[in-house]
Amino acid sequence: MGNDFEPLPARVEEVVVETPTIRTFVLRPAAPVPFRAGQFLQLYVPGVGEAPFTPSSSPSEPERLEITVLRAGRVTAALHALRAGEEIGVRGPFGRGYPLARLEGREVVVVGGGVGLAPLRSLLHALFERPGFARRVSIKYGARAPGELCFRRQYADWAARPGVDFTATIDRPAEGWTGRVGLVTTLLDGMDVDPRTACALSCGPEVMLRFVARKLVDVGFPAESVFLSMNRNMSCGMGICGRCNVGSVFLCRDGPDLSYAEVRHVPYALG
Amino acid sequence: MKRIAAPALARLAAELARTHDVFVPLAAGDRLVLGRLDPAAPPAAIPWNPWRLSEPLKSIWFPPGRVLARWPRPAAPPAPPRPRALFGAKGCDLRAVSCLDRVLRDHEFRDPGWCAARESTLVVAGDCTGAADSCFCTMMGDLPHPRDLFDLCLSPLEGGFLVEAGTERGERLLAGHGDLLEEAPPGAAERRAEAREALAARVRKGNERFPVRDPFEKSVAKHEGTAIWGALAATCVECNACNIACPTCHCFLLHDLPAGEGAARLRLWDSCFHAGHARMAGGLTPRLQLTERFRNHYHHKFVSFPRNWGVTACTGCGRCVEACMGRIDKRECLHRLETRWIPSEVPAEVD
Ligand SMILES: Cc1cc2nc3c(=O)[nH]c(=O)nc-3n(C[C@H](O)[C@H](O)[C@H](O)COP(=O)(O)OP(=O)(O)OC[C@H]3O[C@@H](n4cnc5c(N)ncnc54)[C@H](O)[C@@H]3O)c2cc1C
Ligand code: SF4
Ligand code: SF4
Repeated sequence: MGNDFEPLPARVEEVVVETPTIRTFVLRPAAPVPFRAGQFLQLYVPGVGEAPFTPSSSPSEPERLEITVLRAGRVTAALHALRAGEEIGVRGPFGRGYPLARLEGREVVVVGGGVGLAPLRSLLHALFERPGFARRVSIKYGARAPGELCFRRQYADWAARPGVDFTATIDRPAEGWTGRVGLVTTLLDGMDVDPRTACALSCGPEVMLRFVARKLVDVGFPAESVFLSMNRNMSCGMGICGRCNVGSVFLCRDGPDLSYAEVRHVPYALG
Repeated sequence: MKRIAAPALARLAAELARTHDVFVPLAAGDRLVLGRLDPAAPPAAIPWNPWRLSEPLKSIWFPPGRVLARWPRPAAPPAPPRPRALFGAKGCDLRAVSCLDRVLRDHEFRDPGWCAARESTLVVAGDCTGAADSCFCTMMGDLPHPRDLFDLCLSPLEGGFLVEAGTERGERLLAGHGDLLEEAPPGAAERRAEAREALAARVRKGNERFPVRDPFEKSVAKHEGTAIWGALAATCVECNACNIACPTCHCFLLHDLPAGEGAARLRLWDSCFHAGHARMAGGLTPRLQLTERFRNHYHHKFVSFPRNWGVTACTGCGRCVEACMGRIDKRECLHRLETRWIPSEVPAEVD
């Protein structure tokens, strides 16, 4: 019998510095880890602990995983101390992943905040690998400052694809920045998508999710078409350790992405 | 049906102790707790617990601390556990085991330790022959005698026990110890049924002071976001005893630490009453207020467990009632949840 609590060894092949606080780890697991976009893994630093992350790489490459990590505390600090060649562990995948089937033939709005663009990037890969699957992909991305934007070298390539547009904004004006300034919600006014049939997916800090969801509903999206990556403490990944529930939904098993319709009336669900 | 006399039962336990770790009720002060039978000095009679022990049986199969994994991965699979035999389980204990089987065995993910320990444990259960003040299995739609998940079930009868096998393993054990058994006297099965019904009636009567009519799921769910929880939790001191004592509670913490050249992963019992239980990176905790954690405990047992796993995660064993420092009685709370209403003061997302 397999042991679902036992991490699979994975070698760190490369460490990419994205921003002063965000790094991408390229991992070679001892066996392929097939996952769907939006499903998450537990990364294990031996003797230190585990933390959940959604791969930022394409689900079509299960033998080479990219995980983009913001330094936030104990385990993420230990991850940031890793060098190429070292070995860590992975468990998973866990959760349901993004509702990809629901995106077919629709206009898709992707709203990321900070490191929240990382999980969404696996969705972007999945969509880009299926040209024409989504009618349109509109990417809205916000970070506090220009230096905190992830994956900067890729924006031009994304925006050059047919049916794809990309806009970034930073919270406050900064020297040398000629793009949009303001919270990511300001990018959601006056979009040229039909909110009645479009679908939106968002990942970022909880407060951002709350305001993004409200704004999207204000501009005409049905709450059922707005998907939010819910953040909770997730440990076992199997829906049993008792931490990640929002109401009766155990996010690690039945999430982490839920529609705004599912969470808006649950007390404290969005902070 | 067969009957086994009390000394013969003790002989059966002593024989099992040669190949099994045998757990039996043992006296500790004025209580009976689960302890290991000393194979070198087997008792002349196995102590009989009239109702469930104070300790929940999860401590046998889901111990307070266990190593779940080692790093690097050991080359050989873990040695199978030494077989065990467990005496003293009651109906509510086995109902709790069925809850934990759902969570730890019967789905996509499995806890190998639980599965192996369950598989290798012979369960000798027994009818209740009395009830604590805190017992309320009947309120939970159950009865004070085992109905399944036992290998053998004992029903005290005229100085001995009527013994019923519930599994093939139990049948084989009886077949292998024919010398310890005798034919049950005529009418034994009827007398057992009467005794069972009489005790069930007594437990029902003892709980008449907590009238409830609505399904628990409804009573608890309707208070999502209401302020009744502050009133119910007024004397809670957040000691976690209710969760520790509960046979179905299974929240746990994975704790990783260096061990020798490598590392080990421990699973420790945890409690959702603990303020840091759901703490996230950066120190945010989604259930900061005690009232929210108190509500979560009820919500999990009576709303979310039934929705996710098909049964209520409360057996009515009353251990939480007995353990509570704040004298909070789950039956009283359920009664108040059904009959009282304190309007909302919680900020849900409503537009
Ligand atoms: C599904 C999912 C996907 C995610 N994807 C990404 C991603 O792609 N990229 C990314 O950067 N982030 C992601 N995150 C967030 C990431 O998991 C957290 O930032 C990470 O868990 C932080 O771990 P830490 O140990 O560094 O932080 P800490 O703040 O040190 O610890 C957080 C955890 O440790 C516990 N803890 C720490 N100290 C204590 C203490 N003293 N007492 C009790 N408990 C303590 C907390 O309860 C919590 O479990 C994701 C989160 C989820 C749920
Ligand atoms: S909640 Fe209380 S009565 Fe119900 S199973 Fe747990 S300890 Fe027993
Ligand atoms: S046993 Fe009583 S006082 Fe202790 S946490 Fe439970 S409800 Fe609160």
